[in-house]
Amino acid sequence: MAREQSAPETEDTAGPIAEAGFLGRLIDKGGLLFAAGIVLSMAILINEVVLRYAFNAPTIWAHETTIFLCGVAFIYGGLYCCSHDKHIRVVLIYDALPARVRRAFDIVISMICAAASAMFAWASWIMVQRAAFRPDGSVRLERSGSAWDPVYPGLIKIFLLIVMAVMALQFVILAINYAKGRR
Amino acid sequence: MELFGSLQSLGIEGGTVAMFVMLLVLLVTGIPLAYVTLLVALIFALGWFGPMVVPLITSRVYSFVSSFVFVSVPMFVLMAAILDRSGIARDLFDAMKLLGGRLRGGVAIQTIVVAVILAAMSGIIGGEVVLLGLVALPQMLRLGYDKHLAIGVVCAGGALGTMVPPSIVLIIYGLTANVSVGDLFTSAFLPGLMLAGFYVAYVLIRAYLNPQAAPIPEGPAVPTSEKLRLLKGLILPLCVVAGVLGSIYGGIASVTEASAVGVAGVLLSTIVRGEFTLSLLRGAALQTLRTVGMIVWIGIGASALVGVFNLMGGIKFVSELITGISDNPTIILLFMMLILFVLGMFLDWVGIALLTMPIFVPIITELGYDPVWFGVLFCMNMQVSFLSPPFGPAAFYLKSVAPPDISLGTIFRSLLPFIALQILAVAMLIAFPGITGR
Repeated sequence: MAREQSAPETEDTAGPIAEAGFLGRLIDKGGLLFAAGIVLSMAILINEVVLRYAFNAPTIWAHETTIFLCGVAFIYGGLYCCSHDKHIRVVLIYDALPARVRRAFDIVISMICAAASAMFAWASWIMVQRAAFRPDGSVRLERSGSAWDPVYPGLIKIFLLIVMAVMALQFVILAINYAKGRR
Repeated sequence: MELFGSLQSLGIEGGTVAMFVMLLVLLVTGIPLAYVTLLVALIFALGWFGPMVVPLITSRVYSFVSSFVFVSVPMFVLMAAILDRSGIARDLFDAMKLLGGRLRGGVAIQTIVVAVILAAMSGIIGGEVVLLGLVALPQMLRLGYDKHLAIGVVCAGGALGTMVPPSIVLIIYGLTANVSVGDLFTSAFLPGLMLAGFYVAYVLIRAYLNPQAAPIPEGPAVPTSEKLRLLKGLILPLCVVAGVLGSIYGGIASVTEASAVGVAGVLLSTIVRGEFTLSLLRGAALQTLRTVGMIVWIGIGASALVGVFNLMGGIKFVSELITGISDNPTIILLFMMLILFVLGMFLDWVGIALLTMPIFVPIITELGYDPVWFGVLFCMNMQVSFLSPPFGPAAFYLKSVAPPDISLGTIFRSLLPFIALQILAVAMLIAFPGITGR
């Protein structure tokens, strides 16, 4: 059913699709940072297991930090998949279309996705208003409420807003480039 | 006309139908699943209720991406990505030659055993099918194995990745159904081996009924020094399996921590083997980012949609529909299995898990069944979805690496007996729930 299944992802060199434009290449570059975050969370988890069993000194920050690192990677991963056109889609009808109609579909699909992302960006803005500001308007990031009490929840919510906005922009760029017929 | 809340006039029946039709139409046009669900969720949130429920959707999304158990998903994906890039699996396959030996159907059985060990190391499919397709398939074809038997073994074996613990299907089920992932892993162990056992039995029966289907390799016996050299290929993978499953079952680490142990184990193995490079790690990490991006965003969309649908009273409505079809719990259960089979032909397992489980699991609990057992049953059911035409992912993965003269049609035809075996396994789980140890 899905796009990504037509080719196994063993290609390391697979970059963003050409239509994603400059923003797509930028998103592609940024991916490395968040991918490194996943590797770093692995290291933190191992560190935590070792500290707990070998030194009997578990930390209070390990779990929340890995959740944060992976959380931002999850969110960014969606953006990364946009530029790479790797989101799972049902291509039953799409693949049977002639090339010209398919281009028209590409434009419309990108615009619908842009609309969905933009609406969701607005929804996240409502969430961020509560998570990042006091009622009087001054900045106060939401905290997790644990013993360590980091500002991760506030940061993840703001990050979601940023990613949704960039994602909407990326889909608009995709739609424009599909319309131009750039290959 | 007031836009917000105007959809409410449809009533819950009309609303459910409208939502379903909208999902279906948007989906077949080729819009990514994640955005279809997100869009429909927002349309219904605004159209049914109004702007005040929008924070509910975003908070569901937030809690979805910030759960500790979910951290194990990128870990298992990363582990598989590193594994794919190293020669560990290839050496494992060579080492298993000793096991196959001169047994009829030996290479096919060897492939299944390798698949089970790989499955016990990582929890996803895809890479595994590709690996076996590159390593095992050419060898079986060269030895003159029946083409259909060889293809079926590779695809069905590769799909075991999500049945034998650790498995990300079980992790996602555990998250949606609110059951312990550790319990799920414990319960899925025997059923996973049972399914692999069915495959082995099938290979043996085919091989002995029709010796042409699986010729015995000719040539001199392997010398002992060669045997010892090959055995080394077994050591590292078995250590990793012991590390991952041992720390979960032994209660040393949580599932998430065990998954990190697995990644470290595979990384160490590549260093020991002298295969480790920064570009290997970089490629694996980027692939992980892509894969989890895909999975998580389907999850984000589905979780938003289910949230809105629940608030509309839709889940209660659909539950009543399903429980209303019969007084007999078994019939309701079989009906659910049927829905899952049909959905599995068209949809991805992540989507199925997140969209249907919030509806099915409460019904299951109400009927007096065990949700952990049902999770294993669901996982077994999803095995079918990996192979079933027209969109069985395992078939597409294999097609990408198989010799060009093997068509997709041939692959799907080869998979039919294996799908039958999977359905038999589902039936066994329903008839004898004790297999899960619950």
